[in-house]
Amino acid sequence: MEANAEIFFEHDRWGRNLTWSLVLHVAVAVGILLYAVVAPGSRGEGWGAGGGGDAMGVTLVSTVPLPASTVQTQNVLANDSKGLAQSQPKPQPVQEALPDAIPIPDKIAKTKPASKTSATKEKAKPQPVEEADNVVPYGQGGPVSGPYGTFSANGAKGGFGFTGGGGDFGSRYAWYVRVVQQKVSENWLKYEVDPSISTAQRVYITFDVMRDGHPANVQVEQSSGVPSLDQSATRAIQRIDTFGPLPSDYAANKVSVEFWFDYKR
Amino acid sequence: MMRFLKLFLPFVLLTSAWSQDWIRTGTGLGVEKVRLAVPDFNASTQDAKNADLLKVFNETLWNDLDNAGIFDMVSKSFYPLGQIGNPADVKFEPWSSPPPNAAMLAFGNLGVSGNGMTVQGWLYDVKNVTSPQVLGKQYQDAATSDAARLTAHKFADEIIFRLGGGIAGIAESKIYFVSSRSGHKEIWAMDYDGANQHAITHLGSISLSPRVSPDGSRIAFSSLTKSGWDILMYSLDLSRLVAFPRFGGTNVSPAWSPDGIKLAFSSSRGGDPEIYTVDASGGNLKRLTSFKGVDVSPAWNRKTGAQIAWVSGRTGLPQVYTMEADGTNVQRLTDQGYAVSPAWSPNGQFLVVSWMRKYGPGAPGAQDIYIMDIASKQWVQLTHDGGRNDFPYWSPDGRHIIFQSSRAGSLQIWTMLADGTNQKQLTFAGANTQPNWSWK
Repeated sequence: MEANAEIFFEHDRWGRNLTWSLVLHVAVAVGILLYAVVAPGSRGEGWGAGGGGDAMGVTLVSTVPLPASTVQTQNVLANDSKGLAQSQPKPQPVQEALPDAIPIPDKIAKTKPASKTSATKEKAKPQPVEEADNVVPYGQGGPVSGPYGTFSANGAKGGFGFTGGGGDFGSRYAWYVRVVQQKVSENWLKYEVDPSISTAQRVYITFDVMRDGHPANVQVEQSSGVPSLDQSATRAIQRIDTFGPLPSDYAANKVSVEFWFDYKR
Repeated sequence: MMRFLKLFLPFVLLTSAWSQDWIRTGTGLGVEKVRLAVPDFNASTQDAKNADLLKVFNETLWNDLDNAGIFDMVSKSFYPLGQIGNPADVKFEPWSSPPPNAAMLAFGNLGVSGNGMTVQGWLYDVKNVTSPQVLGKQYQDAATSDAARLTAHKFADEIIFRLGGGIAGIAESKIYFVSSRSGHKEIWAMDYDGANQHAITHLGSISLSPRVSPDGSRIAFSSLTKSGWDILMYSLDLSRLVAFPRFGGTNVSPAWSPDGIKLAFSSSRGGDPEIYTVDASGGNLKRLTSFKGVDVSPAWNRKTGAQIAWVSGRTGLPQVYTMEADGTNVQRLTDQGYAVSPAWSPNGQFLVVSWMRKYGPGAPGAQDIYIMDIASKQWVQLTHDGGRNDFPYWSPDGRHIIFQSSRAGSLQIWTMLADGTNQKQLTFAGANTQPNWSWK
């Protein structure tokens, strides 16, 4: 009873704390107002300008035809990932009973008779057919230069495949494939894509590289559903004057290229 | 109140003071450079001259490939032991695996016999063991160090042409510029790497803004003559001035159209300096601009020849504008400051300009080189390092920019890659200005 009484008699001090609290709140409010008045700098006149003071608002132009600093290759054959190969699980060591051990009656498990299942239950469900084993084990992928590759430019990705000749263009002239990859990625201007799009389906472009190296017959093979992305991908190819003449010992008149672009902002 | 100040003052100071960094951003990110190994060429004969020529050749070849901007040169300290002079000497594994980890290998040999020199060079894709050869070349020339340098330029250009996507290398290109080292401002020429600097004109007057024709046969420039500033035409084939009409008034800053048929220039023959075009023969003069204020420094769209960028003072300070080649569709590109010296990139996509973003009292803006993407109006600053940087001009491959800068104390000519990296000084004697790169 007495303890309760003490609490009741203390409510005088509430007012004092409340005052402090009020003072502090007012102080914070005044502080914010003061800061708004005192704080130097712009009040919105400079919005959208190139920058403040000596700081320059540098916007990225993605296509000066220059390769820049090296980044890790995106090729799955050459990165540190262990690939898709599954390692075999270690066989569990089977615990064998010691020869002189006396069996404890409670621990001897009764062998359960196999539960009978009905005929309908026994029917195996269709299992997914396992595909041919084309997994490349870690470290055995061979050289990076291959007939099919990927690239990434400013966070977006693309890939391409070559057809033509005896089908071995990509392996014989890996250096030319690299040139095509580089030129296309340099000439793809991402700012042409509708800025409200954040991700899109992959768009496939096909084109031919003629004997003298100029691209022809640029077509959207499969649209991404975003017209501006399709167009920017098409223009990336059309913007290129030449990839350089095809290798002189290559017999055919042209080589066909399929190029895909993955767009992600 | 003091407590309040102690609490909030640091906060106030902090918010107002985070500011002064500039962002340095790369272009074309995500594309790897080719790792290229270039072991020194071998001697293929037993001649005393071999050593000297090999030194010149190896140095020139290495520098050309290094300057190209598309290769990641594998440091020579990583190279496997043993000499490589012929395809039979190449062992793929040591080159294609770390530490060299090279993708491409350029090697060969040089031999002097009598007065002649034979150079054999190969380019191998060492990651492609089954069909490694990309390029095999043989050159024959006189056994002089100039010829060795030229051969190295040619071989480097072949490699750059193959691996750079069909864009010819610039190792054989020339740079024309204005130098006062003889006492008068004359037109001079040099190789792209600064070697072989020599005077072209000897007029004893003031000659400015040289512009070489697309076929490399003539140089148009403005010079102070008895009748004032006139456009003069110098034939590099004939090594003398050839006739070109005098239009009266002050005529400056000529610029060739990419087909070599027309010249654009600025003339004050009608009172106000305006942009005119004229046939390369001197006929068919046409006026393009007609607005009060100075109009100078025209530059053609080098890809299409259908547009002209130029500098106009119609709104006060000089700004960069573009128009169609017939004078229509005038558009302003720079929004503020003091922008001069536009030059159009070979692919027609960019303008490079010299720009003081902040100009006027109380705004000591630096004059720096900027690239502008014409379609998107985005721009990137290329130089940051002080001095006044002016008169930028593109290399024929579009990967390099040459410009004049005062950062070294006097006005000298510098070169850099088109993303602003790898800046190098090319000239050192006297004052050298207004560089112009040949078209191929």
